[in-house]
Amino acid sequence: MSAAEIECIDVRKVYRKDRIAIPVLDGLNLRIAAGEFVTLMGPSGSGKSTLLHLIGGLDSPTGGSVRVGDAQLERMSERELTAWRSRHVGFIFQMYHLVPVLTAAQNVELPLLLFKMSAAERRERVATALKIVGLSDRTDHRPNQLSGGQEQRVAIARALVTDPDVILADEPTGDLDARTSEEILTLLNLLNTEFGKTILMVTHDPKAAAHGQRTIHLEKGVLERDEVMPRKTVAAASA
Amino acid sequence: MALPISYHWRNLFVRKTTTALTMGVVAAVVGVFAWMLGFSAALDDSLSVASDDRKLIVLKPGATAESNSAIPIEDYNRLNQLTELARTDAGSLQSPEMLVQISLPRLRDGGRTAANVAVRGVTETAFRVHTTVKIVAGRTFNPAAREVIVGRAAAAQFAGLQIGSTLNLGYSGDRGYQIVGHFSADGGPLESEIWGYLPSLLNAYNRTMYSSANLRLRDGADPKAVIGEIEGPAIQLSAQTEPAYWQEQSRNIRTYLGIANFLVAIMCIAAVFSIANTMFASVAGRTREIAMLRTIGFSGGQILTGFVIESVLLSLIGGLIGCAGTLAYLQLAGSTKDMFGSTTFTTLAFDIRLSPLIVAKALGLVTLVGIIGAAVPARRAARVQVVNALRAE
Repeated sequence: MSAAEIECIDVRKVYRKDRIAIPVLDGLNLRIAAGEFVTLMGPSGSGKSTLLHLIGGLDSPTGGSVRVGDAQLERMSERELTAWRSRHVGFIFQMYHLVPVLTAAQNVELPLLLFKMSAAERRERVATALKIVGLSDRTDHRPNQLSGGQEQRVAIARALVTDPDVILADEPTGDLDARTSEEILTLLNLLNTEFGKTILMVTHDPKAAAHGQRTIHLEKGVLERDEVMPRKTVAAASA
Repeated sequence: MALPISYHWRNLFVRKTTTALTMGVVAAVVGVFAWMLGFSAALDDSLSVASDDRKLIVLKPGATAESNSAIPIEDYNRLNQLTELARTDAGSLQSPEMLVQISLPRLRDGGRTAANVAVRGVTETAFRVHTTVKIVAGRTFNPAAREVIVGRAAAAQFAGLQIGSTLNLGYSGDRGYQIVGHFSADGGPLESEIWGYLPSLLNAYNRTMYSSANLRLRDGADPKAVIGEIEGPAIQLSAQTEPAYWQEQSRNIRTYLGIANFLVAIMCIAAVFSIANTMFASVAGRTREIAMLRTIGFSGGQILTGFVIESVLLSLIGGLIGCAGTLAYLQLAGSTKDMFGSTTFTTLAFDIRLSPLIVAKALGLVTLVGIIGAAVPARRAARVQVVNALRAE
């Protein structure tokens, strides 16, 4: 079990297109405590995904600093960031991004291939991850043999199999129906409460945001509102 | 640790049609390349047998082959003064020979086409000069009877050359010679010939001159010095060592092989483009998958290596299909092939075999083709802009 604190100080991100500067994040300050479940809301273009990418080390800020645990991301090279991501961050995407030619177990195993680990240990960790997400009976199924909710569960298992400090989820329920969304959010809640993962989730859905402890509202690249949510427990969510 | 091979293997079959077409192109290249290597090796094997440089072939000055050489008997007798020839109790190893061509139907197409076969008139001395010649079936010809023996490559290539058959020879083609034996010559070019008794064949073809003299030099003799003596004023004939003679005879075949090499090179370029096209399509269709792999911690180098592995797998499968195709063709159509000698216009037969070395060379070539074909697409895969690719959903 591990978690990490996230701290963004005066983070700026400017994209350039045809020599025109497009500011996306404009001096954003943010702190997320280790083990917190925070949701990120805001209209399209407010900088939610960009912030997620910066915290996940997929992109570098134009200015300011991003710290996750002990890692000061803006000072790290791409190679260092790649290695860091594999050990400290689990990603969950809206479209799952499973490899269609691999089974559920093989998809979950992918991040472990970057670790020095025996095949037996990998198998054990994959089995545990799939058990946590309730898919022990679907290990040999390919993505096209799974429902959308099951695919997202596999993606969650892939994100947690390396026991990362932080889980970053970019609209994980955006492609799912209400009932399945609720199941996925309950699962994320479980990862936060039972396994202590720091979770940052981008969402457009206020119901999904209600699963977090805090909701941060972004507007035009700045933090507009930081809202503490009445915590929806796993038991309550399941009910 | 890199991505598992199963990942690359299964991805190959996601785009079945493109993959199958590319494998087809690679298979064609490798099939032709393997066949060519086999042909070249068979030719080398055949000619390496004829590489005894203590054997000299003497022709009339200006003649390029035995088939267009005529040595009057008195000129031939001048060779008796050579002191460097090997000797046995029966005399010096100096074999007068006559060569004519006859046209026989090929077995491989059921006799629809015919090709020239050399008929060589020899004496008993020939068997001591051409030491590789051995009777492998039946017996040798009887000088007192109209009999011939047939080289086993000729017997495998042409119709009507079984032991017991009668072959019509002679100027008017009306003298029946019975085939009484088959001979081998260690796979050398003599195996593509028919041999009979020299005086009988001279008579049958109304010849008064020999075509050539084949000489065996004694141990320690200097072939160059002997050639100089033969071509000098005392004898005034022309001579070549056996390897030099057969290298010259295979010159045109080597030219064909050179052209075939060039065509294989062009086909390789086509295969590289075909593979590159397949891999580009693969990269384009998997941009988000690549972005996901980069996100979870796979490096650009690992992605690049993965696509190169995929491309090499694709090439190797095509290569194996190509080799299997060539092997099947040789099994079905027969592995013995023939080509005309460059100046004799008689047939040289080769037994083409795909040795493990040839298969290894062919697969080496496709591996290279696979690596080159993957170079640009794999580089593109390694440079996928992760953030942009993830946004494109």
